[in-house]
Amino acid sequence: MDLQLALLFLQQGVASGLVVGSVYALLALAIVIIFKTSEVPNFAQGEMLMAAGYVALYLLVFRALPAWASISMTIVVAFAGAALFRRVVLTQVAHASGSPVNLVIATLGLSYVLKGLVRQTGFGDTPRSFPALVSTDSLMIGQASVTRLDLAILGTAIIVMAAFFWMFGYTKLGRAMRSVGMNPKAAQLVGVNLNRIHTIIWGLSGAISAIAALLISPKLLMTADMGSVVTLGFAAAIVGGFASLPGAVVGGFIIGIVEQLVGLFVSSRAITLAPFLAIMLVLILRPQGLFGGRVVIKKV
Amino acid sequence: MPDLLEVEGISASYGRIQALSNVSLRMPAGSIVALLGGNGAGKTTTLNTISRLVPLTAGSIRFEGQPLNRLQSHHVVRAGISQVPEGREVFRDMSVRENLDMGAYGRSDPAGVRSDLERAFTYFPVLRDRLKQKAGTLSGGEQQMLLIARALMARPRLLLLDEPSLGLSPVLVQKIFDIIARLHADGLSILLVEQNAAVALAASQYAYILENGEIVLEGASDALRQDEAIKRTYLGS
Repeated sequence: MDLQLALLFLQQGVASGLVVGSVYALLALAIVIIFKTSEVPNFAQGEMLMAAGYVALYLLVFRALPAWASISMTIVVAFAGAALFRRVVLTQVAHASGSPVNLVIATLGLSYVLKGLVRQTGFGDTPRSFPALVSTDSLMIGQASVTRLDLAILGTAIIVMAAFFWMFGYTKLGRAMRSVGMNPKAAQLVGVNLNRIHTIIWGLSGAISAIAALLISPKLLMTADMGSVVTLGFAAAIVGGFASLPGAVVGGFIIGIVEQLVGLFVSSRAITLAPFLAIMLVLILRPQGLFGGRVVIKKV
Repeated sequence: MPDLLEVEGISASYGRIQALSNVSLRMPAGSIVALLGGNGAGKTTTLNTISRLVPLTAGSIRFEGQPLNRLQSHHVVRAGISQVPEGREVFRDMSVRENLDMGAYGRSDPAGVRSDLERAFTYFPVLRDRLKQKAGTLSGGEQQMLLIARALMARPRLLLLDEPSLGLSPVLVQKIFDIIARLHADGLSILLVEQNAAVALAASQYAYILENGEIVLEGASDALRQDEAIKRTYLGS
């Protein structure tokens, strides 16, 4: 491979990697806010994304609603669904047994329920394509070719992340969320309603997953199994340290770029391996993740 | 007129372990009442049942005549009871300022919160110089001060203080208890949990002694300080 081609591949890989990486970053963010505040990895995150994708598809294509209405309804439905799951199902599971394992199993249950529901409706029987809401005309940035849709994806993801970080860092609600993650007992003692905050966090995580679904769906074929894309969100979260929100974002971009570069420089078949190699490298060289701090053993 | 706090025959348990049985205590408004006892006697559990972190299995708690039994922890704070938990339960990765803001979480009177922040600085001037510092990087004594200041930010009428002397040097203990005396002089009622009985009896008007989850003795603090059995068991003389 000559230098010219290598440079071209590099630019293309970084450009495409930033685009898909921004979606992985959103997914990682959705995973990490739940984990950080409740120490439960949500194994239904991918299916929440998939279900939201189908809700959008149904509203936009089958009901022929305008894009703005479909998008906002999808986000609202995802927020409400996730919040309701936390409020109703997880509260009951936690009441029945204090073991976190049961909560994790409940999230696994949710993933199968959502897959089953989508299959039940029949929409998930055949792979479907999600209409692109932004033109797919390509334009050149340097020597990299990207579409307007790509730029819209990256731009939207960055705006959503910026809004989230502002909320988390500078509002009263965000401060309450951080307090619950840092010290739930102290949070209760200053008057934070843990249930309410957890419910909002799940809702937000669902809404972010829905936005990720809207962004990624036009670039994939939709099936009931498309939730597996969340594996890359988990990969991003692990690379970033799993409890770090900035880490989740950086991890998302790293996974996206590594994936694209491996596809261009090695082989497109190697793409699926790339994130796992990245995880293993991080786990071996820096087990706490790129942004993970010290590991704290909690006193129960 | 009812007492400020009336705890009547409360019991609580962690799983099958009975932590409190039939504990009753009363405190009039404007008093400092001490709750003494050894490790595991149930002192912290008593505070946590009042704060509604630990469920009651029997008995009742009334604050200003109103029952707390059915309230949740966040309601208790709004009702006027703040707890200063034992140990270093600050929000470590938040700044001192954010910790204090969290103390005022349930309030929606910004002007009142601002004036209470100024008031907190009159008790703990050192916090004003540490506003931007992460709470986890404060010294032990400063963290204890931040915890008390954070609880004050809710403008409580009853302060539950759990082991404020824990892990502090005698000089700092003296400093903290001077501030407790000032808070009391300014009208705050305080339920004080301590292992350091000498300091607690000196600071309080009335005291209860817990053993294995039961009240075994109670009386005016001055009288208890003269009691031979108390001296042997708790005052180490």
